[in-house]
Amino acid sequence: MKIPLLVGQILNGLATGMLYALMGIGLSIITGVLNIPNFAHGALFALGAYLLYTVIQFIGNFWLALLLAPLGVGLLGVVIEYGGIRPLYKAGHDYQLLLTFGLSLIVTEGIIVIWSPIGMSQLPPPILRGGVDLGITIYPKYRLFVMVAAALLVLGAWLFLERTRYGAIMRAGIEDKEMVALLGIDIHRLFTAAFALGCVLAGIAGALTAPIRGLNPWMGVDMLGIAFVVVALAGLGNLLGSIVAGLLVGLAQSLVALVWPEASVAVIFAVMAGVLLVRPQGLFGIR
Amino acid sequence: MSKAWLAILAAVVLLPVFVRHAIATEIWIFAIFGLGLNLLMGYTGLLSFGQATFFGSAAYVAGYLLKYYGINVFLALGAGIVVGAVSAAAVGYLCVQRSGLYFIMLTFALNQMFYFTAYQWTTVTGGEDGMPGIPRPHVLGLDIQRPLAYYTTVVVLFLLALWVMKRIVESPLGKILQAIRENELRAEALGYDVPRMKLAAFVVGGAFSGLAGVLYAMLFGIVPLESIGFVFSGNVVFATLIGGSGSLYGPVIGSFVFIWLSESVSSMWARWPLLLGVAFVIVVLFFRGGVVEAWARFWAWRAARHAPEPVRADAPR
Amino acid sequence: MPLVRTERLTKSFGALTAVNAVTIEVEEGSLHSVIGPNGAGKTTFFNLLTGQHSPTAGRIIFDGRDIAGTPPHGVAHLGIARSFQRTSIFPALSILDNVWLAAFARRESWRGLAWRRAEGYPELTRQALVVLAEVGLGEKAGQPAREISHGEQRQLELAIALAAAPRLLLLDEPAAGLSPDETQKMVALVRKLKGRYTIILIEHKIDVVMTMSDRISVMHFGTVIAEGTPAEIQGDPEVRRAYLGGART
Repeated sequence: MKIPLLVGQILNGLATGMLYALMGIGLSIITGVLNIPNFAHGALFALGAYLLYTVIQFIGNFWLALLLAPLGVGLLGVVIEYGGIRPLYKAGHDYQLLLTFGLSLIVTEGIIVIWSPIGMSQLPPPILRGGVDLGITIYPKYRLFVMVAAALLVLGAWLFLERTRYGAIMRAGIEDKEMVALLGIDIHRLFTAAFALGCVLAGIAGALTAPIRGLNPWMGVDMLGIAFVVVALAGLGNLLGSIVAGLLVGLAQSLVALVWPEASVAVIFAVMAGVLLVRPQGLFGIR
Repeated sequence: MSKAWLAILAAVVLLPVFVRHAIATEIWIFAIFGLGLNLLMGYTGLLSFGQATFFGSAAYVAGYLLKYYGINVFLALGAGIVVGAVSAAAVGYLCVQRSGLYFIMLTFALNQMFYFTAYQWTTVTGGEDGMPGIPRPHVLGLDIQRPLAYYTTVVVLFLLALWVMKRIVESPLGKILQAIRENELRAEALGYDVPRMKLAAFVVGGAFSGLAGVLYAMLFGIVPLESIGFVFSGNVVFATLIGGSGSLYGPVIGSFVFIWLSESVSSMWARWPLLLGVAFVIVVLFFRGGVVEAWARFWAWRAARHAPEPVRADAPR
Repeated sequence: MPLVRTERLTKSFGALTAVNAVTIEVEEGSLHSVIGPNGAGKTTFFNLLTGQHSPTAGRIIFDGRDIAGTPPHGVAHLGIARSFQRTSIFPALSILDNVWLAAFARRESWRGLAWRRAEGYPELTRQALVVLAEVGLGEKAGQPAREISHGEQRQLELAIALAAAPRLLLLDEPAAGLSPDETQKMVALVRKLKGRYTIILIEHKIDVVMTMSDRISVMHFGTVIAEGTPAEIQGDPEVRRAYLGGART
C-alpha cells in the first residue's frame, strides 16, 4: 500500500470524522435535552450547505456565508421547536419524533423546489484552494481547514457545555429535566435553545462540507444515519464520546474504503450493531 | 359478521371497479404491511422506524429466487414470510433490549445498514436500478398474469392476513402487548418476559412485512431500491398513523388514503414527498388518532346532539 | 417456619446505602409491617424482594431458597406479588383485563397464547371477576381503568396483586392518597386478607399498622432500628426518637 495514499485517507478520515463529531454532538444535544431523535438533522445539514451557497451567490464572501448559513438553520430550528415540537409536548415523544420526520421531507423537497434537483458545486474560498505539501503527501488546503475548523467548533461546544452557566443548564437538562424545572429555569426556553443549538451545529457541518463534496438535495440522508450511529456509540449527551465516536467512524469509513469500497458505508452500521450487541450503552455511555 | 368486515368485503369487491387494478392491488399489499407495523406501533407502543428492512429483504430474496430459480408461488410466499420474520428476529433482538429513544434510533440505523448493503451489492440486488424481471408464476395451474387475477390472489391473502392479525390481537398475547404499551414495568412485575414478548411482536410484524414484500415484487415485476429504504419505512408509519393506530382496521384505511393520494398526486407533481411531509406534519399536529378516531368522534358528536345526556366518545386505545 | 427471610440485605447506590444489613423474618400467614419515615429505604427494600434491584450484599430466602437477584418477571412466578405505592395499572385496558393479565401470567401453561380468544379462558375470567368482587370493583369490570377514581384505582392496584394468587403479598402503602373513608375500606380489605396470604405491609398510618400487624419492623436511614409486636414497638424509645425527636424528614 502506498504510504501517501494511506496518509491521505487517514487525513480524510479525520476530516470527515470531525464533521461526524459535530453532527453527533448536535444530535446528541437535541436528543438528550428534548428526548427525541431528530429525524430532520440530516436535512438541516443539507440546508446549511445550500444556504452557504446562496449567501455566496449574493454576497460573494465565503466567511460571512459560513457565519450566516448556520444561523439561518438555527433560526429555522427555533421556528420548528416553537411551532411544531412544543405544541406536541403533551402528545408525547413519539409524535414529536414523527413531526421531525415530516419536516425532513419538507426541508429536503423544499431544497429541490427552491434550488434545484440537480447537484451543484461550490468552490472553496480562494485562500483555501489548492494543496499543501505535507512532506509525505500533498493534501487539499480546504480539507485541512475543515479539520481545524471542525476541531475548533467541537472545542467551542465543549467549552460552552462544560464551562458556561448556560452549558451547565443544558447538561443538567439532559440529566434531569424535572430538577431543572424545579430550579426555576424555564424548561421551554431550554428546549428551544437546545434544539436551535443542535440545528446550528448541523448547519455549520453542512456549510463546511459543501466545498468538499458539492451539494445535492440528498446529501443529508446519509449523514442522518451516521449521526445516529455516532450518538448510539457515544451514549446520549456524551460530548467527549461523540468526538471519539465521530473520529472512529470517519477513520473506519475511509480506511475500509481503501480495501473494500462497496462496503464502506454499510460497514459503519455493522460496527454499530456489533458494539451495541456487546455494550448496549454504547462505547462510552453509562447506563 | 361485524360491520367492519362487511365494509372491507364491500371494498374488496368494489375497489377494482373504480380504481386501476394495479393500484387496487397495491392498496391491499400496503395494508398487509401496515397491519404488521401496527402490531408494534399501535398495540405494543414500539415505534419501529425500519419496517422496510423486512419488506425489502423479503422482496429481494423472494424476487431473486423467483427470477433465477423459478420457484413456485407458494415457495415464494413462504420465503418472503420467513425472510421477513428472520430479519425481524435479528433486528428485533438487537433493538428490544433498548428503551424508547435508542430503540427508534437503532431500528432506523439498521434499516440504513440494509439499505446501503442493497445499494452497494449491485451484482445481486441491482443497486440503484433495482431488481427487474420478477416473474409471476401461476397458482396451482391458474394464470395470474392478468391484473384482475392477481388482484384476486392478493385480496384472498389480505383477508387471510387480516383474520390472522385479528386472532392475534384478540388473544392473550394481544393483551400482553397492550399491557406492555401501557405500563412496561408492571407487565414485567406480573411475570411477563417483556423483551421476549416484544421480540415476538417484532417477528410477527416482520412476517407480515415479508408477505407484503413478496406480493409487491410480483405486482410490479421489480424490486426497487426504495422498497428497503428509510422513506418507505416512513410511508407505512404515515399510512398507519393517518388510518388510526388505535384500531385493527386503521392500517387498512390508512393504506387506502396513502396509496390513493400518493398515486394520484405523484403523477401530477414530482415533488409529491413535499406534500406528504406537510400532510404528515398536519396529521401529527391535529389528527393524531387518524381517520378512525375522527370518525368515532364525529359519531359521538352526532349522538351527543340528539341524546339528552353527554355521551362518552369511544376510547380506541 | 418463616416463608421469607432476608439476611443482612444491603443495597448501595454509590455512596448512598439505601438498605443496610436488613434482617427480617416473616412467618407464613402472618402480617408483618415495615414502617419508618420517608426515605428510610422501605420501598427499596421491596424493590430488592421483587427483583427490581439486585442486592449489593445479603440474601433473600424464600421458601428455603435464596432468590436474591432473580429478575422481576421471575419473582412473579415464585409466588410473590406486589402492589405499588404510586398506582401502576394499565390505564387504557379494561379493569377486568388489568386483573385477568395478572392471573394469566401465573398459568402453568400458556397454550393458545397467540391464538385463543382471551374470552376462551373461562376459568381465568371467573377468577378475575372473583378478585374484583372481593375488592369491590365487580360492577365496573368492563370500564377502562383510567376512568375510575383514584380510590378505586388503589383498589384495582390491590386486585392486580391478588389475582396472581401469590403466597407472599407485598403491599406498598395501599392507602396512599386515600380519604379517611376510603382508608377505612382499604383497611377492612387488608384485614380480610390476613391469614390467607403472607403479607408484608409498608404503611405510614400508624394506627392502621398497630391494629393489624402481627409483627412490625421499624426502618430508619436504611437500618432496622426496632422489631417486635405492636405493643413492643409502641414502647420502644428508639422508635420514639426516630419518629418524634431528632431529624424530621
